[in-house]
Amino acid sequence: MQIEITHRPGNSAARVSLQAGETITAEGGAMIAMSGHMQVETTTHKRDKGSILGALKRLVTGESLFLNHFTPNGGPGEVIFGTALTGDMMQFQMGSGPALLVQAGSYVASAPSVDMDMSWQGFGKALFSGESMFWIKLTGTGPVLINSFGAIYPIQVNGEYIVDTGHIVAFEESLNFEITKAGKSWMASFLGGEGMVCKFIGQGTVWCQSHNAGSFGTALGPILKPH
Amino acid sequence: MQSTIEGAPAFAYINVDLEPGETVIAESNAMSSMAADLDMAAKFNGGFFGGLAKAFLGGESLFVNHFTNNTTGTRRVSLVQGTPGNTRQIDLNGNMFCLQPGAYIASTPGVKLGVKWAGFKSWFAKEGLFKLTVGGQGSVWYGAYGGLLEKEVDGEYIVDTSHLVGYEPQMQLKIQLAGGLFSSLAGGEGFVTRIEGKGKIIIQTRSLSGLADWVNPRLW
Repeated sequence: MQIEITHRPGNSAARVSLQAGETITAEGGAMIAMSGHMQVETTTHKRDKGSILGALKRLVTGESLFLNHFTPNGGPGEVIFGTALTGDMMQFQMGSGPALLVQAGSYVASAPSVDMDMSWQGFGKALFSGESMFWIKLTGTGPVLINSFGAIYPIQVNGEYIVDTGHIVAFEESLNFEITKAGKSWMASFLGGEGMVCKFIGQGTVWCQSHNAGSFGTALGPILKPH
Repeated sequence: MQSTIEGAPAFAYINVDLEPGETVIAESNAMSSMAADLDMAAKFNGGFFGGLAKAFLGGESLFVNHFTNNTTGTRRVSLVQGTPGNTRQIDLNGNMFCLQPGAYIASTPGVKLGVKWAGFKSWFAKEGLFKLTVGGQGSVWYGAYGGLLEKEVDGEYIVDTSHLVGYEPQMQLKIQLAGGLFSSLAGGEGFVTRIEGKGKIIIQTRSLSGLADWVNPRLW
């Protein structure tokens, strides 16, 4: 399997080249184009295991209920993935490292050897992190495709680092994060417009997105007509 | 202080590396990530009344954040604007620059922000009634929704409504119809801004009102 991501960071798309018999699993709706002989199987769960409960959990996380499995029939083929919101895409190779926690809505595709589960981070983080309520936990080995609104940049955390709410794309499970204030006092935090921020503690990588859809919506919203 | 602009031109953001003792000032909610031991303080944007003027008239925030490095090493803060697009840095050395409401993102402490009356013609051109001026010594980062074009004007130049981002203060703005009455209405251009003088102007390739005009008929 070869993955090539083009048009970063503004209009990213991922071209996946598959050998005959290789499969890539993607969220419903991600496919832009594919070879004519590509076989598509739509299930509510992973190819070989999982159940309808897993699908319902995914629906709750904000991903599609269905997963599409693309396998070329009788020869190599390719499939191109894109996303609804303009932005960046990133390929991550899962291996012997820690599990990856991905913001719901940022998952695009992965090899079948990667396991996907829903993760709950507690009420405080669910309500205040600026991200969706749930996170998708990825384990196993193989490539994973993730998207974002904004350019993706990694931060190697060694101790502590602060990321504004709404700017987290994914992080390694070796990191802990807590919701905290940005300045020295809550007043400073709110007056400064940052409000709550996420402080990552430990050792590991957190992937941030440069922009967040909320701020863009706040800029655009007032000039849209009421409906 | 070192700074780089990454993610350009579609999703530009600024990485500012502060040496011990240095400060960078940014508009509200501009921080996307920062080292945990940087100090952040919210202050009025040029005093209480100055801040109010800038908030209501200049499209900026009442408060700005001062990010100060009180540690003994270099620390990074990443700053970004709300809309996707490009970001530019200008270095001021006693000169002034005019920015449209909302274009300012961040600056170094030697730069002073002010609000000036832009005239009713500016309001017709959907450029707002007031303009933000930046002056002093230091660097200013500004951005736009879309890409940024720089143009040296000598004489006169016409910019479509809501696409002007910044211009040098000695230039004059005039509002006029794009073509004749019919051509302006039917051609969809409506009012445009005529810039006269000699200097540099910055244009954004997209506009939020353009996007809103496209989205609005599709809202149910």
